[in-house]
Amino acid sequence: MSATTELPTKEAHVLKGHEGAVLAARFNGDGNYALTCGKDRTIRLWNPHRGILIKTYKSHGREVRDVHVTSDNAKFCSCGGDRQVYYWDVSTGRVIRKFRGHDGEVNAVKFNDTSSVVVSAGFDRSLRVWDCRSHSVEPVQIIDTFLDTVMSVVLTKTEIIGGSVDGTVRTFDMRIGREMSDNLGQPVNCISISNDGNCVLAGCLDSTLRLLDRTTGELLQVYKGHISKSFKTDCCLTNSDAHVIGGSEDGLVFFWDLVDAKVLSKLRAHDLVVTSVSYHPKEDCMLTSSVDGTVRVWKK
Amino acid sequence: MGMLLIPRVLNPQVTDEEGRRRFHGAFTGGYSAGYYNTVGSKEGWAPQSFTSSRKNRAGARKQNISDFLDEDEKAELEGQSLSASSQFDTFGFTAAEQSRKQAEKDQYERPSAIPGPVPDELISPVSESIGVKLLLTMGWRRGHSIKDVRASSDARREARKAFLAFSADENTKESLDSLVSETEVETSLDPQSSEDIKFSESTPVYVLNPKQDLHGLGYDPFKHAPEFREKKRSRLSASKEVGFRKPLSMKESLFGPKSGKIAPGFGIGALEELDVEDEDVYAGYDFDQTYVIEDEQPGRPSNDNRLRLTSNEHNVLPGFGAASNSDYSVERFDPPNISKDFVARHKFSGPLEAETKPAVSAPLDVPPPEDNNLKLLIDGFATFVSRCGKLYEDLSREKNQSNELFDFLRGGNGHDYYARRLWEEEQKRSDQSKLLFEVKVSPRVEKMTAETRGSLLGERPLQRSLKEADPSASSGGSFQFPTNLSDTFTKSASSQEAAEAVKPFKDDPAKQERFEQFLKEKYKGGLRTTDSNRVNSMSESARAQERLDFEAAAEAIEKGKAYKEVRRATEQPIDFLAGGLQFTSGGTEQIKDTGVVDMKSSKTYPKREEFQWRPAPLLCKRFDLPDPFMGKPPSAPRARNKMDSLIFLPDTVKDVHQVSESQEPKKEASIEEPEVDLEVEKVERPVDLYKAIFSDDSEDDEEQPMNGKTQEGQEKKNEAAATTLNRLIAGDFLESLGKELGFEVPADVTYPEANKPMEEGNKSKGKPEASFSENRPELKEKSEEKTSSLTLGSEEEKSRKMREKSPRKQSERNDLSSSESSGDERRRKRSKKDRHRNNDSESDSSSDYHKRGSRSRRKRRESSREKRSSHKKHSKHHKTKHSSSSRYSTDEERKDSKREKRRRRD
Repeated sequence: MSATTELPTKEAHVLKGHEGAVLAARFNGDGNYALTCGKDRTIRLWNPHRGILIKTYKSHGREVRDVHVTSDNAKFCSCGGDRQVYYWDVSTGRVIRKFRGHDGEVNAVKFNDTSSVVVSAGFDRSLRVWDCRSHSVEPVQIIDTFLDTVMSVVLTKTEIIGGSVDGTVRTFDMRIGREMSDNLGQPVNCISISNDGNCVLAGCLDSTLRLLDRTTGELLQVYKGHISKSFKTDCCLTNSDAHVIGGSEDGLVFFWDLVDAKVLSKLRAHDLVVTSVSYHPKEDCMLTSSVDGTVRVWKK
Repeated sequence: MGMLLIPRVLNPQVTDEEGRRRFHGAFTGGYSAGYYNTVGSKEGWAPQSFTSSRKNRAGARKQNISDFLDEDEKAELEGQSLSASSQFDTFGFTAAEQSRKQAEKDQYERPSAIPGPVPDELISPVSESIGVKLLLTMGWRRGHSIKDVRASSDARREARKAFLAFSADENTKESLDSLVSETEVETSLDPQSSEDIKFSESTPVYVLNPKQDLHGLGYDPFKHAPEFREKKRSRLSASKEVGFRKPLSMKESLFGPKSGKIAPGFGIGALEELDVEDEDVYAGYDFDQTYVIEDEQPGRPSNDNRLRLTSNEHNVLPGFGAASNSDYSVERFDPPNISKDFVARHKFSGPLEAETKPAVSAPLDVPPPEDNNLKLLIDGFATFVSRCGKLYEDLSREKNQSNELFDFLRGGNGHDYYARRLWEEEQKRSDQSKLLFEVKVSPRVEKMTAETRGSLLGERPLQRSLKEADPSASSGGSFQFPTNLSDTFTKSASSQEAAEAVKPFKDDPAKQERFEQFLKEKYKGGLRTTDSNRVNSMSESARAQERLDFEAAAEAIEKGKAYKEVRRATEQPIDFLAGGLQFTSGGTEQIKDTGVVDMKSSKTYPKREEFQWRPAPLLCKRFDLPDPFMGKPPSAPRARNKMDSLIFLPDTVKDVHQVSESQEPKKEASIEEPEVDLEVEKVERPVDLYKAIFSDDSEDDEEQPMNGKTQEGQEKKNEAAATTLNRLIAGDFLESLGKELGFEVPADVTYPEANKPMEEGNKSKGKPEASFSENRPELKEKSEEKTSSLTLGSEEEKSRKMREKSPRKQSERNDLSSSESSGDERRRKRSKKDRHRNNDSESDSSSDYHKRGSRSRRKRRESSREKRSSHKKHSKHHKTKHSSSSRYSTDEERKDSKREKRRRRD
């Protein structure tokens, strides 16, 4: 099948080093490096293409749940069970700032395009925007219209999009000052934006991925087959927006066709829950992380 | 004189060292002391050098132990006594003694936290006695038995086993042990184990079993359940393997399974508490991990004695056999004897007393008295008494002693009739309650069939059974439980009726019937009967088509209804002019809610809603976007959930007088305005009031964290600026600044009506004199009330204040602006509150609020509101000025500091 050949289904490297579950694996801006974080409270910087561990960042007091790198690769931010958002310097490995304020664990962090702010999504039902430019450690803004834990956050140039367990994907548009709440009726686990920016892929806890049109809030497609009921598993789109990728709780990684929602391929990626799936920004390369403590690099 | 003779024999004269007489006779100078009874010495008298104690006072002399010791004790202390040398110290007494002394000396030299030689005494160095040395030279090895080196292999194996068992046991404990026991274990066990694993009975092993739990002394939680002891031990050893620390195990024993699954490999810090979030959600559920909580109650008697013994067997020490018959036996008690006539059902004595009543013989049937009023009274009273009991009758008889209307109670006119009526009523009631009782008890207990349960749960039963479903349950007038319950689970009956009332297929009765059936099924939920006999004649496609039609029609009806209800709700404010405003908001909310539910039921996910959201100016700046709310006042955040409106519902009634003026304009506005905004405005109001009353003013300072720091210092400058600036200029200045800061002024997007009046207001600010003179008297009134507001005394501030006050007085003239401006204010407050929503002043204040009397409440609220608003003006004024001057000055300062830094660097 031609479709599957262009999917990254061949294991290139296994990144071992984390003790215990790896909770997130993320490429950096250009895809040359990867950051992973996990239950062992460390963040690790890898060269996924050569399978080398470059650096380990330790400072978190509890598990690290998400990490994101700035576009210039100089800084990154992380968050986790210790209710803080850490702002790190990549090269020195020092924590530049800690943003405290969340009342619960922080589930996700993202930089904006210019890396001037960090947005964090927390168990305390809020999104918080932290300023990286000034020395203020107070949140620039607290968005607390969510009714339940915010699991995931995505930023565009003008919007903040958050997915919450209350079943909503809320888009906060800064240009017009509006909040669009798309209620999916199911807890939203992970959201991911398509590369053309027109669609949002929302992974819901009823073992379904839902593709929404962002302008109208219309449900475009539903992807099923995987298991996602109780763990935070990621989903993403390939660079061409042709395929939808989703991790499953049984260790599989699913590839769907975007348009007709057919399962193109099932990949036995890990033995245990696939916690995170991250796609290379340019190439056909994929990172998966799992509770089994490994991160795997997949290529065509 | 005889006295003198005797001493001569005994030589009683007391002399000093040099043989000088100490005591003389009374006539020869008394006693001698010192140097010839002087203070001097042979060399003469030297006075002590005088030191003034004024400057350097004599310090407390450090006492020494030697100050308190006798000579011999001192000698002993210095070790000058006779003792066996260490070489011949067979029993080690000398060594121990010496070491003790050494320790004491050490102790004396460096005092430790624990006074006295106790710890050193505990751990005394053991020197080998001569006997041991001899034995060793003879070839004896430590740990071997002295009597027989080649003991039987069996015994040795036993011994080894025992030792291994012990050492294994010891190891598990070791890790959890405190320091003392660790050292002891080392001294007692380690040398042996390092030298030789072989071990004999001759050397006693001191097995340490330190107390590690928090139970009382001697209390064994596993006394009757030894199985769990093993379990716990394995658990402990397992946890030890993964590096559990002591505090954790402590906690575990304290709180049981709360701290259950933790990811292997990662403990948490010593200062952190183990929390729910530390549980390893990713670990698969391990059934071995389940264990029983150690119950503090020493209960849990094991019924099976044998089991206990057998399980104990492998715990039996070698050399001991398990007793064949145990002395111990669990005391058993027979179940209590139940008397034969005991009925296992509680009889309620109170309300069901009617049951016993029918025994009373019926009074004669008497025709009612002619007086119709009396008859009515008696009837009513009889029913009442029958319901409330005889007591009430007695009470009212006493009370109405003189009232001749109640003569029938005292055997007067109509007494017979009353008695009869009472009897009848009671009869009726007893029947009813009997029925009730039967219905309540018997069908539920005995006749809970699948059908009844299904109907209780709102499942749709098969066609026929619905009608039949337990007639006893549905027949009882007082017992409507099943139907009610099913209503709650499915659709409310009213909505069904409403849907039925609308007949979209009037022209085709058969179709209409099918439609109704469809609706019923739709709202009934549960299982649907897919094959209805009636539809059989239709083709598959036709049926599908019809189904689609029905869906559409149902939805249309639904929408129409929702719309209507919303309409009705929005119109309601007109009906309830004064009091009902807040209630209606609740009403709209609820009705909208049902609408939402309906939508859900008709599967319209994903559902999009839009709200206003105000990004922080700084956020926009960071995103390089223009602030869409630049210069607009913060808008009202919408109600977070339904609870908000519910919580504040009862209080809002008191709010009437404040709101009443602003209502009339709202009537028109409310219809066009989006619903969300409407309800927000109504709902939030009381919260603001609480805020205004009870929250302290300090939060004003927090309003803008950016300016907050510079604020205090700038206050004076501001005042100066205020006085120097022309009023007119100041007005414009403030306005523009306010716009920039997003504080005051033009209304926001959702309130299009608001724009006009506010702009008018702004214009009027341009010529403050006019409006000021116009409203002067009022202002004076107010200024008397307010004390703090006048400190600044800038005119435009007053005029502003007036503008916000005036609507209340001049509502006819300026309705719209009044409502909007006050609304604005409230919104601002609200938003502030929202920013600090963590403080719980809200709930506190509301509880306070309830406690106080309503009158004082109102007054207080008024005054405090005014104070509040004035204060607000105040602070706002400050802030606007500040930001201007502060921005300026901080820039300046920054430049200065930079310059300075540069200079320093140079």
